[in-house]
Amino acid sequence: MISPVKSSLEHQLKALLPRGRVLISAAQLAGYGADGLGYKNHLPDAVVIPADAEELAGFMCGAKALGVPVVMRGAGTSLSGGPVAAQGGVVVHTSALKKILEINTEGFWCEVECGVGLNDLDAALKPYGVFYPPDPSSGPVCTLGGNVASNAGGAHCFRYGVTSNYVLGVEAVMLDGSVHCFGGPAGGRGSWREDWKRFMIGSEGTLAAFTRFWLRLLPLPEKVWTFRATYPDLKTTEAAIHALVAHSSYPAAIEMLDPRGVAMVESSQMACGLPGGSFMLLVEIDGPEALVNARVEAVAEILRHAGSQDVMFSDQDEIRKKLWKARKASGGLLGQLSPSYVVQDAVIPKRALAEVLQLVYDEADAAGIRAVNVFHAGDGNLHPNFLFDSRVPGELEKVELISKRLMQRVIEVGGTLSGEHGIGNDKSAYMPLVFGPDSMRLQLAVPAAFNPAHQMNPLKVFDNRHFIA
Amino acid sequence: MNVFPPMENERLFVPFLDEVDGTLCLPASATAADIHSQVRAHRLRFPLLLDEAKPLREQIAAATHAPASCRFGPYCDNILGMNWRLPSGRIARIGERVVKTTTGYDWLRFLLHSGSRFGEPVDYVLRLRPDCGFTAIAVFDGSPNALQACVSKLLHSGWMHWWDAVDFITEGGISSVRVTIHCVPEEAPIFAQQLDHVATATSTQLTLQNHAPTAPDGLPDLVLKTTPDRVMSLAIELAPEVVRSIGLYYNGVLHLHLSPGEDRAERIHALAQKVAPELHALGGDWHSHWLPSIPPNLTESAWIQTLEEAIHSTIAFASLQLPAARVP
Repeated sequence: MISPVKSSLEHQLKALLPRGRVLISAAQLAGYGADGLGYKNHLPDAVVIPADAEELAGFMCGAKALGVPVVMRGAGTSLSGGPVAAQGGVVVHTSALKKILEINTEGFWCEVECGVGLNDLDAALKPYGVFYPPDPSSGPVCTLGGNVASNAGGAHCFRYGVTSNYVLGVEAVMLDGSVHCFGGPAGGRGSWREDWKRFMIGSEGTLAAFTRFWLRLLPLPEKVWTFRATYPDLKTTEAAIHALVAHSSYPAAIEMLDPRGVAMVESSQMACGLPGGSFMLLVEIDGPEALVNARVEAVAEILRHAGSQDVMFSDQDEIRKKLWKARKASGGLLGQLSPSYVVQDAVIPKRALAEVLQLVYDEADAAGIRAVNVFHAGDGNLHPNFLFDSRVPGELEKVELISKRLMQRVIEVGGTLSGEHGIGNDKSAYMPLVFGPDSMRLQLAVPAAFNPAHQMNPLKVFDNRHFIA
Repeated sequence: MNVFPPMENERLFVPFLDEVDGTLCLPASATAADIHSQVRAHRLRFPLLLDEAKPLREQIAAATHAPASCRFGPYCDNILGMNWRLPSGRIARIGERVVKTTTGYDWLRFLLHSGSRFGEPVDYVLRLRPDCGFTAIAVFDGSPNALQACVSKLLHSGWMHWWDAVDFITEGGISSVRVTIHCVPEEAPIFAQQLDHVATATSTQLTLQNHAPTAPDGLPDLVLKTTPDRVMSLAIELAPEVVRSIGLYYNGVLHLHLSPGEDRAERIHALAQKVAPELHALGGDWHSHWLPSIPPNLTESAWIQTLEEAIHSTIAFASLQLPAARVP
């Protein structure tokens, strides 16, 4: 039975989206209650799927009059509670906007709609000998709209950088339906005085709806060597990381799995013969064959010199894929170990790696919560995963307390809350740790400029962003 | 749920060098010599320098990219944080000291090249890179078609990631391609072999100067931002009107140097007006430190007003003091 209020909303939405879809029944909405974070569920009042960018702009034009929150959503793989209707309202699913509009290899750019899948773009670029570097683990599913909204990163960001390093332009639709291009293939300001795309990237759907992007491309590296080294403890692992980040080979990726992560992989179908009880580094160097081949032994020596008795390396694609499959599937494997988990995304100066990881283990062990660390060590981008059961009273509170202590220490050592997942409604409570009175005022001025009533994705990024109709 | 009370003070950066992370915080008035003196002993470098003598603040006000942006990206990818003096005189922390962040809205990239419209930088946190010990400059000469083929060969392969810079230079009616190489000495022959290969394949003449001192080109008078494939044709088109142009090819950036003179600002303005429609159509722009910024359009005026209200706010706080020096 659909309530009269919902029926009226459905009627209004159908008028705004004559060609798209409007989902209103409980069964249809069930899949939109959560994102990759999983345990925080907020059912929207409705979901709309615009047929194309024009219809999305038309919807935005009428959205203000609906008087309900508007939440943009790509594939919903966010790990911060970003694309969920925390204050109810309408979720706008951009799955129909999936055209790759142009690939310009001479200009090293491409133009894509926001619903294009990341790995679909990669597949389309490959025949041209170019690639788009950001590579979050959700690549097979996630969309570029979500990537831009959360400034996604990935395993190869140590050398290649994150999404904001590659966005040349953003087409954004404001809540009044006006459509603006911030930048474009050239990646500048366009005819604007200010470089507005800087605020759009990483804005987590709180400022505008995105319809298309212009993205910078790079030539594909010709040769890749993948290294695997194991270490007995945190200190020796940290020493290896410090030596690698300063090395002239500029590794593309420096990833770490802790013994619990290794055990998890080895007890799964992704098992690839990793020795138990060890910290594992997964390192990759790439480039022209002549150059990268000359660097192999030097990188192996760094790994050995730091204390690894077990350095393996290969240029075989099959071995590389197996190792990366194990690394990238680890998030999914966590779901097999525990009904709920929280993954944090703090970034710290790398000299504090061992200390902060030890804090994670100590706090989690003391609280009886399992913690697994699988993360981007080269960037100092931690991903401690806290496994718990949200149905057990008190477990979530324990995880929140550990997270609070972790975040306090992260800020004390000079780090930040999020490197690539975004804040969403998962980390918004920690924002006062980061921003002082003046910088907080600046932060809050951004949504005040573009979305003053907080109708776009309320309660995200800053938890005092309430929408009042 | 707000588990933390608001902070009373900004977490301002204090000058530091973190040789593990390769980050350096120093005043915006610092020069290249100041940077070198702090980082050289740690075999680190900040490759995005346009001028040896000018303060970093002026370099960043003059351009968004430097030649080494080919490899390392624009300034905004290599400056991680700032202490920023607001028009009220108070100082706010902008950005971080770590290489990745998606914590809040990106004021760092918004403010970095905003001139003095919203305040001014006090300190920068720079991202440093390993100093590999060997630098060489390669210059390719040849016909325009040969140089076009040369650039294409340099950039459309996996080697593109490893050139510090690939610049298309026009000066006195002569064009050339300049490539900057920075590597460990043992790898120098591998780079030289590839450069030879490019010269042979594209019928260009190669001059390679090993252990070359990196002499920055100086601050450009006018900067154009377009797409990479438009850099060369634009440089050739504008050559008669400039003394020298340096096309940062992969970045789609053209640095134009004009002859000095009382009418320089007028000439820069005329050049900018000539190319602006084409640049804007591609989402590009122009910028000159000799000219005021363009006026805001109607749409952005309202957004700017909201930002300015926050920026100019003079809510009274206890006297702002820098936190005690922190050993990283």
